[in-house]
Amino acid sequence: MKRHIKYIAGLAVMTFITATSCKKEFFNKAPEDAITLDNFYQTAEQVQSSTNGLYNNVWFSWNNKASWAITEIAGGNARTYSSDVVAFGNFSVTGDNTEISNAWTSMFTVIAQSNALINNLPLKVPASVPSATVNNALGEARFMRATAYFYLVRLFGPVPIIENSLDYVNNFQINTNTVVDIYKFIENDLKFAEANCTSMIRSGSSVAQGHVSSGSATAMLSKVYLYEQKYAEARASAEKVINSGEFKLYGADIAGKTYNDLFVTANNNNEESVAALQWAAGAPYGHGNSLQASFAVNSIITGTGDGYSVIGPTIDLQQAYEPGDLRKHGTIMLAGDKYPELNQAAGGFTVPADVNAQNTKAGIKKYVTGTPADNGGKGAAQSAGNNTYIMRYADVLLIEAEAVLAGAATTSNPAALNAFNKVRARAGLNPLPAITKNNIYHERRIEFAIEGDYWFDLGRLDGFNVASHPLAAAIIGNQERGTYSNDTPPVVYTQKIPISASGFLFPYPTTEVAANPKLNEAPVPYTFK
Amino acid sequence: MHIRGISTFNSGEPLYVIDGVPISGAANANGGTALNANNGANSPSPLALLNPNDIESLDILKDASAAAIYGNRAANGVIIITTKKGRSGTARINYDGYAGFQQPQKYLKLMDLTQYASLQNSLADAYGVGRRGEFADPSLLGKGTDWQRAIFRTAYQQSHQLSISGGKEGLTYYLSGGYYDQDGIAIGSNFKRYSFRSNVDAQVNNWFKVGLTVSGSKSSENIIYSDNGGIIYNALLQAPDIAVYNADGTFAGPPNTPDAVGGILNPVQQATSISNILNRNNLNGNLYADIRFIKDLTLRTEIGGDFGFSNNNIFTPSYSYGRFTNPTATLREQQNTNSYYNYKEYLTYTHTFAQKHNLTALLGYELSSSRWGYTQQSISGFLTNSLGDNIPTENLGTSTTAVIDERKSAPHNLESEFARAIYTFNNRYSLTATLRTDVSSNFAPGHQRGYFPSFAASWRLSDEDFFKPIKSVADNVKIRLGYGQLGNEGIPPYSFGSQLNPTITGLGTGFLVARIPNADLTWQHQIEYNAGIDFSLFNYRIEGSFDYFQRKASKFLFQLPLPAYVVGGPDYLGGIASPFINSGGITNTGFDITLNTRNIVSKDFKWSSTLIFSRYKNRVTSLANGLQQLVQSVTNGFLSLPITRTTVGGPLGEFYGYKVKGVFKSDEQLRSAPVQFGYPVSNDPNLGNKRTWLGDVQYEDLNGDNVIDAKDQTSLGSPQPNFTYGFTNNFSYKAFDLSVFLQGSQGGQILNLLDRTLGGLANLYQNQYASQANFWSPANPNSNLPAPRAGTDNANLQISDRFIHSASYLRIQNVSIGYNFPVGLIKRIKLARLRVYASGQNLYTFTKYNGYDPEIGLQNQNPLLANVDIGRYPSARTITFGINAQF
Repeated sequence: MKRHIKYIAGLAVMTFITATSCKKEFFNKAPEDAITLDNFYQTAEQVQSSTNGLYNNVWFSWNNKASWAITEIAGGNARTYSSDVVAFGNFSVTGDNTEISNAWTSMFTVIAQSNALINNLPLKVPASVPSATVNNALGEARFMRATAYFYLVRLFGPVPIIENSLDYVNNFQINTNTVVDIYKFIENDLKFAEANCTSMIRSGSSVAQGHVSSGSATAMLSKVYLYEQKYAEARASAEKVINSGEFKLYGADIAGKTYNDLFVTANNNNEESVAALQWAAGAPYGHGNSLQASFAVNSIITGTGDGYSVIGPTIDLQQAYEPGDLRKHGTIMLAGDKYPELNQAAGGFTVPADVNAQNTKAGIKKYVTGTPADNGGKGAAQSAGNNTYIMRYADVLLIEAEAVLAGAATTSNPAALNAFNKVRARAGLNPLPAITKNNIYHERRIEFAIEGDYWFDLGRLDGFNVASHPLAAAIIGNQERGTYSNDTPPVVYTQKIPISASGFLFPYPTTEVAANPKLNEAPVPYTFK
Repeated sequence: MHIRGISTFNSGEPLYVIDGVPISGAANANGGTALNANNGANSPSPLALLNPNDIESLDILKDASAAAIYGNRAANGVIIITTKKGRSGTARINYDGYAGFQQPQKYLKLMDLTQYASLQNSLADAYGVGRRGEFADPSLLGKGTDWQRAIFRTAYQQSHQLSISGGKEGLTYYLSGGYYDQDGIAIGSNFKRYSFRSNVDAQVNNWFKVGLTVSGSKSSENIIYSDNGGIIYNALLQAPDIAVYNADGTFAGPPNTPDAVGGILNPVQQATSISNILNRNNLNGNLYADIRFIKDLTLRTEIGGDFGFSNNNIFTPSYSYGRFTNPTATLREQQNTNSYYNYKEYLTYTHTFAQKHNLTALLGYELSSSRWGYTQQSISGFLTNSLGDNIPTENLGTSTTAVIDERKSAPHNLESEFARAIYTFNNRYSLTATLRTDVSSNFAPGHQRGYFPSFAASWRLSDEDFFKPIKSVADNVKIRLGYGQLGNEGIPPYSFGSQLNPTITGLGTGFLVARIPNADLTWQHQIEYNAGIDFSLFNYRIEGSFDYFQRKASKFLFQLPLPAYVVGGPDYLGGIASPFINSGGITNTGFDITLNTRNIVSKDFKWSSTLIFSRYKNRVTSLANGLQQLVQSVTNGFLSLPITRTTVGGPLGEFYGYKVKGVFKSDEQLRSAPVQFGYPVSNDPNLGNKRTWLGDVQYEDLNGDNVIDAKDQTSLGSPQPNFTYGFTNNFSYKAFDLSVFLQGSQGGQILNLLDRTLGGLANLYQNQYASQANFWSPANPNSNLPAPRAGTDNANLQISDRFIHSASYLRIQNVSIGYNFPVGLIKRIKLARLRVYASGQNLYTFTKYNGYDPEIGLQNQNPLLANVDIGRYPSARTITFGINAQF
């Protein structure tokens, strides 16, 4: 027997190999820290949560710097020396600039993930999930896709319309589509969202109100119509929102709240919020709100080491406020201002006498929310939990006023005046008896300063999809973008910077043109599916 | 390390096999990724855990037939490392120790304070801000701070190893223990390793033999910020008017004024205050058993494994100096585990028939599995900054600030079966045939199996009758031919599928689609032809080999780069990852020459040389789906810049950009030149950098359309060298020995992106190359260096041949001199052998390259980004003194 042990051992090995090999499970390994597509979207709860991801990190590289670099610095509300974004202030930015690339990439990330949901849900969701739940999720995804295209078309003009990333894997060298077709595409998406998203009546602040509703889609649609100068449709949509009672104006319809309270983290997803990005406080880089990292004048405010005051409010913006406008305190910081909500542990924050972000003798207040302790103990460097607004109800009211004016020189139509003066009243300002386009544009600039809107208003001032911008160019050419000296009283080192007619659209990212030179060809009409 | 050129679009790293246990050199493969304080990732080399004194031999398998046994992961070559074994006889005790020091081999020449101050004055004018009062008269200023010398040092190192080996009665053993301690040349960095090894073999009886190899190591290192944004980068850019420390001993930094937003962190503070400690533990073992059934038939069974555990802590304390304040201390911790095991069976039959026909047949089976995972935590809100030498633990932070994460790989499993037969006739003709098949879990069912045949033939000419007349000159001549197919499946597990990644949002957890799936993904095939000759001449005084090879990779695996408008951004920001595909082809063609000569062989004096020469050329034969080119971009100075393109017919990752004609020095030149990038000729500062003026770079209008735009970009050269070489000379005279090893590379280009940051003349509060002090200005109208401009987004900094440099170099890699004490002398102190030596490594590099080191390699192991210098650790010159003693 002993002599045969070696043969037995050999035989055992052969048997073992034959027995263990070719086990299929050994080679079919799914990831253990993620979910496969086929295992999800199986319950109503899973379908509901499937849209959460469209409100957060997909927007990060837009929210982080590109949003304000483009809309506020180029628009003349903010100035900087910072070499990464300084070119936005003098209209010399090129397609090489990282923030151009970030804006582009962020929007197309939103579009890619929205498309994934739009295409996957109908295939993967079983019949046991109520169709209203599925349609609501599809509506949210289409709202987000429309919003991203709305930003893109305003930033770059013609861009490619993508409905499914998979269609372009083998053939990505495609043309851009015309501005008119992109607007039509946006309208279609928003109409779908309006028809399929859940209706809400908002009350208080809650996470549930963080998802967009049917009313959010109507509100966004009214803004898109306004850009297209379809005044009747814009008015109809705005009034539909106003009459629904879904949204309320903080400090007007909601007593005890102020304009400044809109930007307090505890008031995320309040009654005035139409659509907002949903940041997670203290979450890893990319998931939290990083705005105050760039805006806050120092790190005493943030408590997290950031607070770089990369921008300061231009002298032009500071001088644009009417005397007594309560919004100034909620938007910019001036020496001696007191903010009890910031740095509460030290009894509030008083703006130091030498405040001087980017030599403006002021700093940015809006979206600055204070230390983690000021925000329920949550937050980290470049990761605060306050929402970034995509749209507020105040916007709907001003759209209503402009839609009623409908391109006329002036109006005293009560529909326009009521909406318009409601916004002014909250700011502590007198009602106007009659309003002009200039009144509305001024009101919009002040109401939404540092919220990423003014640049786009300037871009539509001269009409829809126009090549020349004489009115806007005149406004920009007269903006004081200079600095204050250190003298008392300070002297203005004036800087007035002209913009060319083509300056209202930004160049495509160089890296994208290198991959697809057809982006620079003339846009083509889109074949709607 | 790359063997015979790169033939994949993924990692080009070879497979390391240490005592039969394969360890991939590719980043992430071992889960050995460490946290990096500046958001990147370090991929420590797997070899760092091995004690070099334990290595008996290191073989590089280059051609396909030789590598066929390791087929499934051998596409980039195989490096086989065998560690020392015991030998029968009296036990030998060896001590090997050395001590030495390292220094930076080179410092870059940067502006001193006088030069810096005049540059800042010009830049202040360009930015439209007031000149700084203290720089009113630059000539009155001194040299200022030398930041490179503030962070680099002479760093000491020592190594000790004790080993004992021997054997009796069928049992042999080799046991060793080692200690290694090295400081880095940058302050705040060091590396320590403790290691042991036990190799034991036992001949149990006449048909059964077993052996066990076990090695373990524990290493601990302090990692500093490296690369872009790291301390070296910051030391280069930091202004010379800033001191390292203030008078009161606190750190100094750029002022907290609005125009100083370009001011740089104090690298000494970064290096000494922020700690990044990586502790790694590794256990590697291999157990084998040989059964001899009959005289010619044996079965070998091996079970091996490689297991790693590491933890990594980064603590950023609170600080405040200059314009920088961090009130909140933060701790990040990561615990990694990785495991690999394999199981092998080899059945070998060897027999010689009729004394002339030798046959070796082998059947093999192999199974392996690897996986990795990590958990990560970060926490902030520490009330104390310093616990002496200790890093605080998580419980000392504020618990509400904690963020946790855990990741795991899908297991990577492989099963292989192979058969090999070697037939040799009369020791003269030999044929080898191998067929292997592999199944990999990295592919979807139905695409997991690959078949890889290979053949080799050799003919020893020198044994033929017709060779006899020249036999006295040519002792041994052998011709070899080889053909082989190798597979490559080196992609992350489950790359063929799509999954939903969880994402944190303010609305609760969300799920985002991770990747565009490609269920058809399968093995990359690589066909390699090899023709070679081995020869030895003049009574073995000259031995050498010459090999010509062609390696054709097809259907190679890579991640198709898709534009952002199709897939969005990076995955951590929610983008959908581009699909991995099998597509395209690359051909590498080249030859290797090895020549060993014994030039002088006399009783007292001996001189021998080894010359290695290698040349290859790679050419892309096709790209995915009819794509004309692949473009790779990098982010530099807040700009996203396309820098390399890979086109059909061209090499991998050639640089492209503009050609510089000169600098605009006269109105006449400005008027007559083609319009550049659509910018007007203007001196109006309100146009920002969208204008062309005196002192700007003039580019060449290559397509002759009288405008300078993207159509004027052209190839700026390939990063691939024409050839590489090594030349070793060993001399010995009586008890003295001397060896000199030279190594070099000829041809190829480097794109030095530091030229944009250190030579860009575009940022306030940042230092620059001293050579840039002579920039163009109305007062210096003949300079060929462009004038300062505000911000890096200016046309002077377009990627152009200004930033391209030759990568050629010749390096004195090693010179060592030793002395063996006479046996008679050391016998009295009970020593069998005693050698002392001094050795210098990396002593000098002859190169025209302006950066720290022309040997740059790949960025993130991406072969399309080769020789791109983004600011790296300079190579160090090492001098050591050592002893080898045997008792």
